[in-house]
Amino acid sequence: MDVPVYYSKAEFIETDTGNKVSRRATIAGPQNIILGGKTIISSGAIIRGDLRRTGPGHAVVISLGRYCLVGEGCVMRPPYKTYRGNFNYYPMKIGDYVHVGANTVVEAATIGNHVVIGKNCVIGKFTIIKDCAQVADNTVIPPNTVIPALALFSGSPGRFIEDLPESTQEMVESQTKQYYSRFQPLER
Amino acid sequence: MAPTIHYYCPCQSGESVQTPPPPHMASSSASFHPLHSLFFCEECDAVRCNRCVSVEVSGYYCPNCLFEVPSASVRAEKNRCARNCFSCPICRSTLQVVASDPPDGGDGRPSVSLSNVGEPPFFLYCNHCRWDSAEVGITFEKPTGLAAQLQKFEDSAPESLEFERLKEHFEPFLRTSSLSSLSHVPSTSSHHLPTSSATAAASAALARDIPGVGKYNPLARSRVGRDRTANKDEMPEYKSRMEIGVLGQLGSEGDGSDVEALRRMESAEEIASLEQRWGNSWTTSLGTSDLRPLRIPLHSKVSKRCPSCRHILIKPEQKAQSVRYKIKLVAANYLPAMTVALPHHTQGADATRRPQAKVPSAPDDRNAGAMMAGKSYPFHLALTNPLYDPIQVRLSVQRMHVTAATNSTAPEKARRTPFAVSLPTSSFPVAAFAEAWEYDDDDDMFGLEDDELGLEMGRTRDKDGKGKVKTVGVLEKRANVTVVGGEVVIGKEARGHVKFNMLVSYTYRSDDPLPSEDGAGTPSRTVAKTPEVKTFTFYTVVDLGPILPREEKLDPDI
Repeated sequence: MDVPVYYSKAEFIETDTGNKVSRRATIAGPQNIILGGKTIISSGAIIRGDLRRTGPGHAVVISLGRYCLVGEGCVMRPPYKTYRGNFNYYPMKIGDYVHVGANTVVEAATIGNHVVIGKNCVIGKFTIIKDCAQVADNTVIPPNTVIPALALFSGSPGRFIEDLPESTQEMVESQTKQYYSRFQPLER
Repeated sequence: MAPTIHYYCPCQSGESVQTPPPPHMASSSASFHPLHSLFFCEECDAVRCNRCVSVEVSGYYCPNCLFEVPSASVRAEKNRCARNCFSCPICRSTLQVVASDPPDGGDGRPSVSLSNVGEPPFFLYCNHCRWDSAEVGITFEKPTGLAAQLQKFEDSAPESLEFERLKEHFEPFLRTSSLSSLSHVPSTSSHHLPTSSATAAASAALARDIPGVGKYNPLARSRVGRDRTANKDEMPEYKSRMEIGVLGQLGSEGDGSDVEALRRMESAEEIASLEQRWGNSWTTSLGTSDLRPLRIPLHSKVSKRCPSCRHILIKPEQKAQSVRYKIKLVAANYLPAMTVALPHHTQGADATRRPQAKVPSAPDDRNAGAMMAGKSYPFHLALTNPLYDPIQVRLSVQRMHVTAATNSTAPEKARRTPFAVSLPTSSFPVAAFAEAWEYDDDDDMFGLEDDELGLEMGRTRDKDGKGKVKTVGVLEKRANVTVVGGEVVIGKEARGHVKFNMLVSYTYRSDDPLPSEDGAGTPSRTVAKTPEVKTFTFYTVVDLGPILPREEKLDPDI
């Protein structure tokens, strides 16, 4: 019943923890990026781990949880601002079971667990997305927006549309797990 | 479009009728819901939906600052955030507090601000449409407690003054009538009294102001009201704070001044749209320049109850941003989850095997799943058992008498030629849900591969045995999922959607001695002392997708 989503085996690198990262994705500053395991980075995605906070020491720039999907052509870029005269980048934290649709630009500060973001969205700087929230396709979320838990946002600018059903958490969890298990290599 | 299956909630139909409306009627969609949005009442042993549950607010919070507002202060704050949260009057996105530019250091570069928060005055700025509150003359001395700083403007607005006055006017009546209703305890409709005296005053005022409107007299309808006629006469006439004519001075007359403004207007954006003015309780001027930032309306967390037995179905945790529930009785934990697929659809997607990850519903195969009139198609139903006990499921298609009736009489006879659906007639088992299967994705997906192979082999064996691929019957069993096949034969002149009601009944072993006893039907029936078989029946609607007329050859290879 579950239709596999095939990818060419040569294109993807699979890590010990089950992350699948496309060779066609641009991963800048990989030492500053954490993938939780079983996370898929699709081809054409750009993840800017190099935009780190100035200062000495090791800094985590982007962390993704388990069972995440960064869609094709997505841009994940940490947010920045000038605070008290100093320009700086700030880390981006993304929880478990988060799907980001194709060609979406994410500059959020925090994304909770079980969040689904559609394709062709723009998630503005320092946006905070709480658990189980969803963003519809083609939505523009202005900077500094807060999306509360279990809310559906849509439109430009993205606005609250409705409360999501109580079982959203289980649904998103099973969908994201299922997507990972459907994502199968194809030898050629 | 992928085929869908929705579940029936009987709340829309009458007490006696428990069968769902015919699926081709547009109104039937109100009775069918996706499984994940349904609830299940254990006491009534029935499915409940969002349309029929009764909803209670269990807490308020601001959707922007996520502050949990105590319900005592919600009314005083007029259901809006009383902290720093404002939405843009133009585009409704959240406004941000920004400081003014720091003073010029003299060398052409702005000097670095030393203060933590920036330079006053502060103003509200929209990150989406670039509106800012300085445009309309709203600035702040400090960047905190903005709502409190704006409070005096809000309180002095004519509409809120008028509302306060109205409340003042009616308060003594509300108090006396509630007191008197308390003293007249035996009257059954005593709680209606405060409203009836208020409506009496309102209708009196309406009758006075608008000639020809008859007085609505609720008092004449209830005996209790007639006793209280004296009370009604005691109510003095309400005099508004402001005469109607004075409103014109507020720039809302809708004549001379507006025409003048329109004459000078250069772009349509200068007029506030209806949506932007919709929430105002008072007529305001038409210009967007007069719109004010809006305090963000609060959201609420709700608990839900069964409409008939009042048992709680949904009870959220107190914390506003928690997604956990103290009580959550959702239908997905009781009814088997069903998904439907058309193999000819998915085979089409397989054939094109894309090397990159692409979801099967790409725009180019929009019509790949469509069915041609005059052909027959197999379809697959996958049932997933959420219970800890195995179940026996029996499926049957609801007879569509209504369709048949329209066929014989209606002029659109040709368009309604139905299709025939065949399903497995005997009952089949679906294995119990076990927690262990939750973790099968950790062992490298071998299970899935094996199952797929098994399915392929099984089907080829069928082919060898009967010389024909088996389409109707149980096709696959894996973990707590059983896949059954069905077949639909579409008439030559059929149009519309292949959509039919399907009755699903499943039997499970119940541990309860008698079905009438309370505590019936928890999903964890592991101890079986006196095994008793219980049956639950529900309706679903299956939509397999549109039927293409025969003439339209979309794809040469179909």
